[in-house]
Amino acid sequence: MALLKREEWQGFVRDVDWSYSYVDDEAVYPEWHSGTGKVPRAAWQVWEESYKVTYPEYVATQREKETSAYAVKAALQRSATWEGLDEGWKSATKMHFGGVSLSEYAAVLAELKMARFGLNGAWRNMAVFGELDELRHASITTFFGHEFISRDPQYDWTLKTYQTNDWVAISLRNLFDGMMSSANVVDIALQLPLVFETGFTNLQFVALAADALASGDVNFANMISSIQTDEARHSQQGGPTLEILVEHDPVRAQWVVDKTFWASARALAALTGTSMDYYTPLEHRKQSYREFMEEWIIDQFIRTIEQYGLRKPWYWDEFMQGLDIWHHALHMGLWVWRPTIWWRPMAAVSPDERAWLAEKYPNWEKVFGDKWDVIIDNVNAGNVPATLPETLPWLCSTCHLPCCNATQSRNGTWRVRDFPLSYDGRTYHFCTKACRQIFWKDRANVNHLTVVDRFLAGQIQPMDVGGILAYMGLTPDVMGDDPDYQAWTKDYAGRPAEGLVATAAAQS
Amino acid sequence: MSEEPGADAAPQLVPLNAIFATDFVQILVPVTTANTMQEVAAAVAYHVEGRRVRALPYQKVVIYQGERLPAEMTVAAAGLKPLDHIAVEYDIPEGS
Repeated sequence: MALLKREEWQGFVRDVDWSYSYVDDEAVYPEWHSGTGKVPRAAWQVWEESYKVTYPEYVATQREKETSAYAVKAALQRSATWEGLDEGWKSATKMHFGGVSLSEYAAVLAELKMARFGLNGAWRNMAVFGELDELRHASITTFFGHEFISRDPQYDWTLKTYQTNDWVAISLRNLFDGMMSSANVVDIALQLPLVFETGFTNLQFVALAADALASGDVNFANMISSIQTDEARHSQQGGPTLEILVEHDPVRAQWVVDKTFWASARALAALTGTSMDYYTPLEHRKQSYREFMEEWIIDQFIRTIEQYGLRKPWYWDEFMQGLDIWHHALHMGLWVWRPTIWWRPMAAVSPDERAWLAEKYPNWEKVFGDKWDVIIDNVNAGNVPATLPETLPWLCSTCHLPCCNATQSRNGTWRVRDFPLSYDGRTYHFCTKACRQIFWKDRANVNHLTVVDRFLAGQIQPMDVGGILAYMGLTPDVMGDDPDYQAWTKDYAGRPAEGLVATAAAQS
Repeated sequence: MSEEPGADAAPQLVPLNAIFATDFVQILVPVTTANTMQEVAAAVAYHVEGRRVRALPYQKVVIYQGERLPAEMTVAAAGLKPLDHIAVEYDIPEGS
């Protein structure tokens, strides 16, 4: 029997659906999973993906991608490429492997939820492909990172990170549980494919692929480029969902998009911002994080939401101001609290690197230069211990990242301000006004305690630095340290340095 | 346990959210109800002064809800509660 042509059968099978007679629709698609809300059930019948794919086509394409990615890996496995990579770049990859591998697995579960509870057959079908994509991403990321464990135990955190109580891991779980695990499928379709994958995976996968190639890490570039081709396809699940939601419940659509964009931007400032502007060697940087955000994320995001009739988020000014602050402050935080992370953060503040930062971010010296100068002078005075932490940074109750976002006063000075909230008998603190607003509106959903909350509740014992590191799962062979203090301090050696910690003790 | 312990009560732990001068991050600083503001300022400064913020030869002052608190005032007398936010600034004379 001759096979039917694709166009003769695809229209029939891609959105197979049926009416239930033995059970209620609500029993099959319960509201808490399917999340139709104010959207009439029938409205989902018009859901249609713009790029259609069949299972045979999918399998053929994915097989080709896998073959290609693993062929490059096999070839490079026999070379000494990895040994020649810069330590800063290796840190970017360790952060990526640990932060991404099991986040991809969380996305498998989110896609499966859409494949089961989506309110249109085509949407469920699409989500099956999405789930297979995410499974591939979790596998390939874990496998590529695993190869390096024998050479560097920090790569063991490729698989380990997401299951620890490390503060970075808790921040990621908090983000992805809100975006994927606890949400209904309508919200997932907006949060994961539309906002996160259309917008932010571009940032980590496209920007970092360029920096990886420039840094000589062909294997990593090849891996994330292979993943990004999947994202580009399955991320389109979000568009048709948003179109229907905007028509029937624009307020919900706006809120879900707004809060996810913000949460993603906070996380990626830590993950990608630091990698692009600090860990990637200066001579290999293609664009600054801000430049990339403006070109690839912001323009596209604004175009997308306007196309669907949504407005700019209420926090837009705060977000744009943050592009000059967030990731620089988070970099300093990751560096200061370096024993709590599974990579070796390069401070990367030599005179040449600072000149680049000052060119890209005109306020950088004013906001961050003075602190780095004191750190540099301590290192040059032989007092590295003075640069290590003896307490916890205060972590934001929404994004779980340190409260470290300086803003400018009318008199021109820069200060980190407090954004508190008294609720349910206690005081919460937030890194920004928008994080506070999101917490308040979503307060019934917030369920992760920050490491500071856990410490104060007595969950971390003993209540000291050793207890905190053990709670986070850090062991001496893994905990981070700067790989090369000399690289960024030597040009400042010998300059007059007052007001260091030893000097302060002498004055008192 | 009384909310405002008297002089004879055992000092209670008061974990604070604190920022020191121009530092880049808020930090967790535990103090007790018996500590004076001078001691609180020193406890916050310990983690930052000379480590990330260059030490200056001036007294330090605790600022709570926009008000400068007297150096000898205790945490209990100031009404500082667990998880409250304070800022510690150098008390730089005008014209310096």
